[in-house]
Amino acid sequence: MKLLLDSSSSLLFSLLLAQLPVFTSASPVPQRRPTDMDKLSNQTKNLLKLTQELLREHAFDSDVEPHRFRSLPEMSNRSANDLNNLELKPTLSQLHADLKLYEHHFEWLNKVSKKHHHPALPKLVEMIREMKSLINLLHRQMLRVEAPRLTQVTPSLPPHLPYQFDVLQSSHELLQHFKLFCDWAYRAFISLKPKVSAVQ
Amino acid sequence: MPGLLSSPVCLTVIWFLSWSLRPSHAQIQTDEASGVQYAHLESNVTMACGKSQIRTPVVWHLNSSSVLPWHKVTSDGTLVLLYVDHSAQGNYSCHDDRGLLLHSVKLRLGHPPGLLSISCQVPNHTHVRCSWVESVKTFLPAKYSASFRGNGKEWRPCVVDVIRKHCDVDHPFFWTTIHTLRVTETNALGSETTSVRIRLNELLKPDPPESLLVETLEGYPKRLVVSWNIPSSWPLHDAFPLMFQIRYRPQGSIYWSEVYSEHSPVVIFDALAGHLHQFQIRVRDEVNSESQWSDWTPVFLIRPWEVSSTPESTEDRFADYFFPFNTKPETSTAKSHNSVHPEDEGNLGLVILLVLFSVVILTTVLSLIFVLWVRQRRRNHVTKQELTSMVKMKSMPI
Repeated sequence: MKLLLDSSSSLLFSLLLAQLPVFTSASPVPQRRPTDMDKLSNQTKNLLKLTQELLREHAFDSDVEPHRFRSLPEMSNRSANDLNNLELKPTLSQLHADLKLYEHHFEWLNKVSKKHHHPALPKLVEMIREMKSLINLLHRQMLRVEAPRLTQVTPSLPPHLPYQFDVLQSSHELLQHFKLFCDWAYRAFISLKPKVSAVQ
Repeated sequence: MPGLLSSPVCLTVIWFLSWSLRPSHAQIQTDEASGVQYAHLESNVTMACGKSQIRTPVVWHLNSSSVLPWHKVTSDGTLVLLYVDHSAQGNYSCHDDRGLLLHSVKLRLGHPPGLLSISCQVPNHTHVRCSWVESVKTFLPAKYSASFRGNGKEWRPCVVDVIRKHCDVDHPFFWTTIHTLRVTETNALGSETTSVRIRLNELLKPDPPESLLVETLEGYPKRLVVSWNIPSSWPLHDAFPLMFQIRYRPQGSIYWSEVYSEHSPVVIFDALAGHLHQFQIRVRDEVNSESQWSDWTPVFLIRPWEVSSTPESTEDRFADYFFPFNTKPETSTAKSHNSVHPEDEGNLGLVILLVLFSVVILTTVLSLIFVLWVRQRRRNHVTKQELTSMVKMKSMPI
């Protein structure tokens, strides 16, 4: 009898497990499974949104940019024409290298913000987490299409920031740059989507 | 020493010193070649009667008339106009006592340039147009030069249209945080440079969509099909997606209904049968939410399909009609819009899944009841056995 009871419990458990795929697939409209390029563009857009929120919530009215960061990815020589002629592997490699560089800068900002108890800290932590996830996803895509990983540039980060004002200013500068980077990267990912399908 | 003076370096220094030490706002500028003398309004203007020293008395005329504005003539024949206004402008000539023309000059009055009020339009990622308005009315012909640069980059020309007072930059380095535009206005009385710092990503504002067309659907008194073309100035490339906002209302209503869509066409399902509707559409860059919406297109007026003999239930009769357009309105406000999806055939699969799910649930419930029943039965059986053994023990002699 004990055996029967045990087997009944197991059956019950199995039935419950069997319901899981039913729950997960019970969507009103059957949707196309997102590709990795879709995920890359979606995550980039999410990062862009987070950046814009941070800039909005901690508005710092300044047209003067102090140029504290000397080693940020070069964005100032990119024009719309460049997006028409993107090559898959070099672009993925470059975006990966650029993101790694931004990750270093934001981790530095996170560290100094902690010291100065910057109110944007929780969102900054969330941003870094999202950034890391995007980097991993991008790396997976690079492996899939055999795009090389570029040599990492050592970032030159500003020295000690003595005042809260310096932190705010640095944060503003970094976020302004990163916002434009995300805008570019998103457009690059959606432009490259057909090229990835051709390779795979 | 003469050798030193005539050396190119020395001459350059002398030229530079003479240029830099000249008064910044010369009161009077005479263009010898054209015979035009420029002067500040509301100042005293001095006009000499030619270059040579005149010994004999001279007579000055303005536009061949001897009537001159408030003035004085010095002993050497120089005319000094006092606190001039616009009426002092014209052709001045000086004559000797026999009426012989000695010298003539045209006087133009105005102000040196002031700062400009500059605004820039960014209709897409490949073009910037900046236009300006003078803050000071100079009354004099002006020349403009303009240059444009991204943060920390070299200046590049912004091509000027003097008549329309604007300049154009093609293919700017768009993904730069701040750009600077510098416009210099120069006229005969001086020059002034105005600089503005702009963020292209915030100024991005597409031109309105084109060829807005709203059509009726025969047999559907509540539906309208809205189609349009993207602005012709917008690059036709995957990298530059757009978001369109359509708004519509029955004529006379103050409330707009709104639909967002990335693609044309869109079907409106909740038009008010028999009423004339107003439609407008505008567009924004889909990626950059900080960019600006275009202006609305002009109002398009349309009445949904109607026929006097059609019974009220026509809409219901065609309720299961499968519409051939791929329309995915993103959001809607005020009123709901049931978008038609081409994936409707997937509903059958969903029904099958739901049936399977119900079967599984039913099986689970039955199994649960069975397990509880077995457990209860076993408990009863044990209790019965215990009671029997107790009775047996009691009946045993000690």
